[in-house]
Amino acid sequence: MEVTVLVQATDKAFEILEKARNEARELLYSSAKLTSEAKSLAEKREARAFLSGAQQSRLAFRNFTITFFILFAFWILLSGRFDLFHLTLGIICCLLVSYMSHDLLFANTRVGDIRIMVRRFFSAGPWFLGQIFSANLHVAYLALSPKMPIDPQIIRFTTKLESDISWVALANSITLTPGTITVDIREGEFFVHALDRKVAYDLNTGEMEDKIAHVFMEADHVYVQDVLDVSRIFGALK
Amino acid sequence: MTRVTDDIIIRAVARVMIPFIQLYALYVIMHGHHSPGGGFQGGVILGASFILYLLTHGLEEAKIRMSEIKAGLFSSFGVLIYSGIGLLCLILGSNYLDYGKLSTILKVVPAQARSLGILGVEIGVGITVMAVMFSVFFDISTGGELPEDEE
Amino acid sequence: MDSFFLWLGMGLFTLVLLCLYRGVFGPGVLNRIAGICAIGTKTLVILLLMGFIYNRVEMFIDISLVYALLNFIGTITVAKYLEMKGEV
Repeated sequence: MEVTVLVQATDKAFEILEKARNEARELLYSSAKLTSEAKSLAEKREARAFLSGAQQSRLAFRNFTITFFILFAFWILLSGRFDLFHLTLGIICCLLVSYMSHDLLFANTRVGDIRIMVRRFFSAGPWFLGQIFSANLHVAYLALSPKMPIDPQIIRFTTKLESDISWVALANSITLTPGTITVDIREGEFFVHALDRKVAYDLNTGEMEDKIAHVFMEADHVYVQDVLDVSRIFGALK
Repeated sequence: MTRVTDDIIIRAVARVMIPFIQLYALYVIMHGHHSPGGGFQGGVILGASFILYLLTHGLEEAKIRMSEIKAGLFSSFGVLIYSGIGLLCLILGSNYLDYGKLSTILKVVPAQARSLGILGVEIGVGITVMAVMFSVFFDISTGGELPEDEE
Repeated sequence: MDSFFLWLGMGLFTLVLLCLYRGVFGPGVLNRIAGICAIGTKTLVILLLMGFIYNRVEMFIDISLVYALLNFIGTITVAKYLEMKGEV
């Protein structure tokens, strides 16, 4: 008789404990979301405030001209006509679009030289294509074999990258590689769905992350290549 | 539907793509007589770019870029361009929207004047379509409430 | 070369029909969205192949760019609407 009362009491205690744990977890998630949004807004405000007025307008002008040139190159790519009428129309349209949305393309103040980043981007391109090719072959083998040995899992990891463009670049290159899909990014943690153990292992070595950090000049540890590239520019300034 | 989206991927991708979408819309308007497109199609794509900005970056920032007042002004401005060109042809002594008479002002061959006149009215149509699409979406998403109703 | 593009287009069209099954019978609305978005990407390639067959590639590239754009914006809109409704 006492045993049943004891069992009922422990059941009740477990129920209360479960409810308390769920409430605590919800509270933690909601407060974390609030602080991360507030943190990103405060960061943006700080980044804009730490430039003075003249520097800000110079930055805006630089963004405007770079956007204008990129858009003009895109216009020439779209319309293959090089007579004066269409080129004038192109210049007017590019000026209009650059005026309307010049602060969209380069919204973050980035530390680092953009010429080095462009060069590194073009030299890291073939490696990504090679990765996509080999992962394609592996997923085709998995899909076409009769017993289909897949082992779907979700991986969670944090990255060392800092700005949102590099997060998005990493997420997009993970999704572009067959076998892995980025499901969500929550407060700096990536949730990636992988198809089987081999692609998960390839992801966990961190090679893709290193390449993207190399392109955007953002890693914590110093690359010898970074020092060599930057020292050439500093040497020219002397 | 008009909060800032929490998803950082969509926000960054939309932010990068919007200038290219707008330039593509202007390309479609300008090349109406060489390739498929024209005024209405380009206006729809331009309006879609503003709607994308509203969906991903929230209502407040979209209001800063293109408010309801500006959208109303743009829609009337487009119609003004269209009927203004027609009236100009009427003033010069021919029928309404008879673009051949514009060659006396622009000093080109009448065929070229017709082509330029059509380009002008297509631009007007594009501006109006963009403004109307954006303002319809804006009204639907705010449910018809105006800020002064909240006081 | 034309017949090669034609057979390729017909093969892609059979894949479109397979995705259409998921779009019609998918249990729930999220499966249907995924099916229709996949159909959109295949439609792009079929449009370009048609451009090669009719020998007017420039026209069909413009059309397929517009379709890609509208596919993207439409999928984001529907996803935001469902998130607001609480289905996700």
